Amino acid sequence: MKNSATSAEPAARGAWLGRLAGRSRKSAYAAGRQAVSRRRFGSADLLTVLAGLAVSFLAACALLPGWIAPYSPTEMNTAAILQGPSSAHLFGTDYFGRDVFSLVVYGTRDSLLIGVSSVIVGVLLGGTLGSLAGYVGGRLDAAIMRIMDVLLTIPGILLALTIAAALGPGLRNIVLAIAISSVPGYARVMRGQIMAIRGRGYVFASRALGTKPSDVLLRHVLPNSAAPLLVMATLGLGSSILAGAGLSFLGLGVLKEIPDWGALLSQGRGYLTVAWWICTFPGLTITLFVLSVNLIGDRWRDAVDPKRKGR
Amino acid sequence: MYGDTTDKSLSKASIGRKRFNWSYAFGALALALTTALAGCGPADGGKSAQAASGTTAASAPVQGGELTYALATSPDTLDPRRSGLAVSVRVFGALYDTLLIRSADGSLGPSLATEWKASDDGLSYTLKLRDDVKFQDGTPFDAEAVKFNFDSIIDPETKAANALALLRPYKSSEVVDEHTIKLNLEKPSEAFLGNLSQGMLSIVSPTAAKKEGEDFGKHPVGTGPFKFASWTENADIKLERNPDYAWGSAEASNAGAAYLDALTFKIVPEEATRIGGVQSGQVLAAETVPPQNVVALKNDPNAQLLQTNTIGFPYTLFFNLEHKPWNELKARQAVQYAVDIDSIVKTLYLGTYEQAWSSITPGILGYDESLEGKIKPDVAKANALLDELGWVKGADGIRVKDGQKLTLHYVDGSPNREKRNDIAAMIREQLKAVGIETEVEITQDVATVVYQNWDYDLYGNSQVNSDPNGLVSFYHSTKEGERRTLSGLSDPQVDEWLDQGATEKDEAKRAELYKKVQQYISDQALILPVYVFPYTVAAGKSVQGLKFDPFGYPIFNDVYLQK
Amino acid sequence: MLQAALSRLLSSLLVIVGSLALVFCIFYLLPGDPVLSMVDPTSVSPEVIENLRQQLGLDRPFHERLLTYFGDMLTGDFGRSLVGSDPVLPKILAQVPSTLLLTAASALVAVAVGVTLGVLSAVRKGGIIDLIARIVGLFGISMPTFWSGILLILIFSVQLGWLPSMGSDGWRTLILPALALGFVGAGSIVRMVRGSMLDVLNEPFITTLRAKGLRERAVQYKHALRSALIPAVTLIGMQIGDMLAGTVIIETVFSRQGIGRILADAIMAKDLPVVQGIVFFTAIVYVGINLLVDLSYAAIDPRIRRKGAKS
Repeated sequence: MKNSATSAEPAARGAWLGRLAGRSRKSAYAAGRQAVSRRRFGSADLLTVLAGLAVSFLAACALLPGWIAPYSPTEMNTAAILQGPSSAHLFGTDYFGRDVFSLVVYGTRDSLLIGVSSVIVGVLLGGTLGSLAGYVGGRLDAAIMRIMDVLLTIPGILLALTIAAALGPGLRNIVLAIAISSVPGYARVMRGQIMAIRGRGYVFASRALGTKPSDVLLRHVLPNSAAPLLVMATLGLGSSILAGAGLSFLGLGVLKEIPDWGALLSQGRGYLTVAWWICTFPGLTITLFVLSVNLIGDRWRDAVDPKRKGR
Repeated sequence: MYGDTTDKSLSKASIGRKRFNWSYAFGALALALTTALAGCGPADGGKSAQAASGTTAASAPVQGGELTYALATSPDTLDPRRSGLAVSVRVFGALYDTLLIRSADGSLGPSLATEWKASDDGLSYTLKLRDDVKFQDGTPFDAEAVKFNFDSIIDPETKAANALALLRPYKSSEVVDEHTIKLNLEKPSEAFLGNLSQGMLSIVSPTAAKKEGEDFGKHPVGTGPFKFASWTENADIKLERNPDYAWGSAEASNAGAAYLDALTFKIVPEEATRIGGVQSGQVLAAETVPPQNVVALKNDPNAQLLQTNTIGFPYTLFFNLEHKPWNELKARQAVQYAVDIDSIVKTLYLGTYEQAWSSITPGILGYDESLEGKIKPDVAKANALLDELGWVKGADGIRVKDGQKLTLHYVDGSPNREKRNDIAAMIREQLKAVGIETEVEITQDVATVVYQNWDYDLYGNSQVNSDPNGLVSFYHSTKEGERRTLSGLSDPQVDEWLDQGATEKDEAKRAELYKKVQQYISDQALILPVYVFPYTVAAGKSVQGLKFDPFGYPIFNDVYLQK
Repeated sequence: MLQAALSRLLSSLLVIVGSLALVFCIFYLLPGDPVLSMVDPTSVSPEVIENLRQQLGLDRPFHERLLTYFGDMLTGDFGRSLVGSDPVLPKILAQVPSTLLLTAASALVAVAVGVTLGVLSAVRKGGIIDLIARIVGLFGISMPTFWSGILLILIFSVQLGWLPSMGSDGWRTLILPALALGFVGAGSIVRMVRGSMLDVLNEPFITTLRAKGLRERAVQYKHALRSALIPAVTLIGMQIGDMLAGTVIIETVFSRQGIGRILADAIMAKDLPVVQGIVFFTAIVYVGINLLVDLSYAAIDPRIRRKGAKS
């Protein structure tokens, strides 16, 4: 498979761009281009299944928290503050006397909301800009990519703070801040993909047959370039949630009645030495989610690898 | 009732501490491997420096050593005239002296000024100055120096702000002789002398201030027991002993040069790092200990906890009287009855903070003790008041009138200083019970939201102060063009009391006036006083003699390190 | 070649000027008055605040301020901080070494951990070691850094007393923050190295080496590893940008000196001159790193060089 060098050439470029542009874990084709191994598949799939189960459970928490949580997340029982994990309070109680397990369950909705919506906004904006840059090329390409460069030079925290200051605090602005700082990454990967696919034989062929450029883009180029972007988006889910937690730490989070995981972790960190459970469980939940999403993303990337598909 | 809660939580806390290693294990799992890979073998013991000392038996002070003191935030400048932050004042105390000092009992005492006298019309003060004082750069301290200081504060070029607010209504200085100065005021002010004891009116060396100009804040020179050595931003501020110092005020028992060779402030914003720094012996003292750590530190054989309540205006939630429906007395009273401050303070501060009852703290002239315990939470009363006003509970439990929901816009700043955001969260829950919906807005830009847009129904503020006259800036009516106050109160009766209080010379009468103001504020439910802020310091056992002035600022001249 | 270099330089310059102008505009449009947050607004009178605004030049019109800013910058004057009024350039330069040191040390940790785990998992593909190495690698990118940072402090500094938790003096203060930050980078390097290593192990030249009778160990570690490292090193270059961003949180947790902390404080205080100075610095670092990456990118893969020259 690996040896089919001729057909691999444009794809290799796409992969390279993906690797470079995606920066860090977002890199699209970064890993797993090895031959199929039955043994590895076995353990990897078991792990993926477990990850899938974890994500499904958390999704259920987000949709139907009331069915899973034993207490109301806002109920403050001041007679039972800072109590360790017990059968009554699986994850203990916090400094208000709230049930930490219920808080984590109810906090899932906003946490996933931050992750999912910032990724959607980021992918839509970045994907569009990247496609335009890659497909049209020339000056537009140069202009878009310079703007992306400008965005990348401005530290994410600066963007987040200014957005919050300009629009007021709130979940929406946290999402926007995270989304905007992820746009350049998606744009670069998309651009690389489009450029790689633009040069493929079937695209030339359909152009030669007189298909309208917009149809070529929509029917042939986009569908074939979207996969790496989607993989990257999956991995982006995790990093968005981590970014949200980081903003909470810097005091830019939202003080909602039901805090998200990042806020729980950040607010509870001062109690680590006297009541470790307050921030450890939200922290572990974040880790579990990001880990699972990454495992699923990795597996998916292996699956969409063009060489794996034997193209 | 409350005692139970604490005991329970404390015992839980200690259990938590035992189990602690388990929780670490989770994180350690991932991290231990890294440690091994990074090749950092067991380092030589960093703890050994902190040898266990005996008890705090009063022994003769020991000369020498360096005190490392971790601050939670960084000073903005070391020029007292230009500073706007309380944290800077903690450093000023070591670098500078003030003309007067505020004693622990609340009275004014001599420092750089030995005697002071007001003129009969109250428009000028004549101060006798010490004649044996030198700035650390050798410049003699005299009347000219004081004149330079105060004149430069009112000079717009200096860009003084907080110092200027304290110095007002200062007009000019006359040098009577080398060590006598007459300070002229625009109008009489009973608060003026007291303000001269505040760190932001510390006296700087005129020679150095003229030479350094705007850079003086990075090269400060004063008369204090320690002189400036270096300031590496976000790392440390190093001070050295001033060997010539011989004019310590009565506040310190050591009037001569400091025992310590060096005093180093470190800036450590993260609580866990700061407190952990004392426990691991990396710093000898750390300020603002969170309540949950106070308990653990008290039981720590290697550490001690120092605590002092500060005077001024306690942490107080102000209603915005310009916003409906909170301009109505009954609506405010309903909140007053619905909110259980006692429960909030005990839950969040675990018995380490005292509840505040009035608009000023104990220790301030005229503090009205009769307000203590006067208002007790009463949900039934709160409900009745809201019913009276015609607010009816809707299906979601929130009250409605004329199609409008009963909401309270509660603004607080970020980061979560002294758990103030958590107070907001608890009040939200308590108000929900009586059908008020609280919209909590946490903003990192309080200046804009509150002081520019005045966009709040309830907002909390506290201030360290020495004189009740400061109430003017919260409750006095304002004229067109002036900035409004946090409360937005406009009542001629209160104005009259406050105006009289500013100039009344008879202390008993003055106290009476401020008692009336406090009672009015309480009866009108203008505010919800929450807590009196205690300045807390965690220190290693070797640190001896660390004291604080009534504002909670540390006094370093008596500090020594027991071997 | 010269022309290419010149155009490259020009576009870099454009990016830097663009970032500075953008930040300037954002701050100009932001609601609020920096002076109000510098003083105690309950006691300081409006006239005093107005005077401060005038003294700081905040009352002048937008174009005047922008022109003055760029004019002064050309003469090397970056202005004075609004808070504490110290000159911006020395203020920032004093913080640069600490941040660069932390970034370099973190990169070192990331490479050491990432390459070790990546190689281990590739060589023991499918086994339990592979699984553990991958999960450990993923853990690094699944934990919020402020949480792992505080855990490190509590374990190694407070409980064990092995390492200092604060300050920037000496190499020992570097270890814990570099671990916290480096572990994040390690996650993606594990992936990258594992993937490339598996690729390389399937290359014909490896087969040839094996056929020649070379010991498997020598094949794996001497020849395969060397080829697999190249893309990993490129990835690390990319990640330095991410790490610089990560210093905002790590420097706060470990109370280190550095650009990140100065930036966070300056943003909160709306201290535009300082923010501008830092953006100038990050823009230069960003542009420089990208230049290096592109150079190595072309040097490593001749196919890209050929194509790159065309477009």
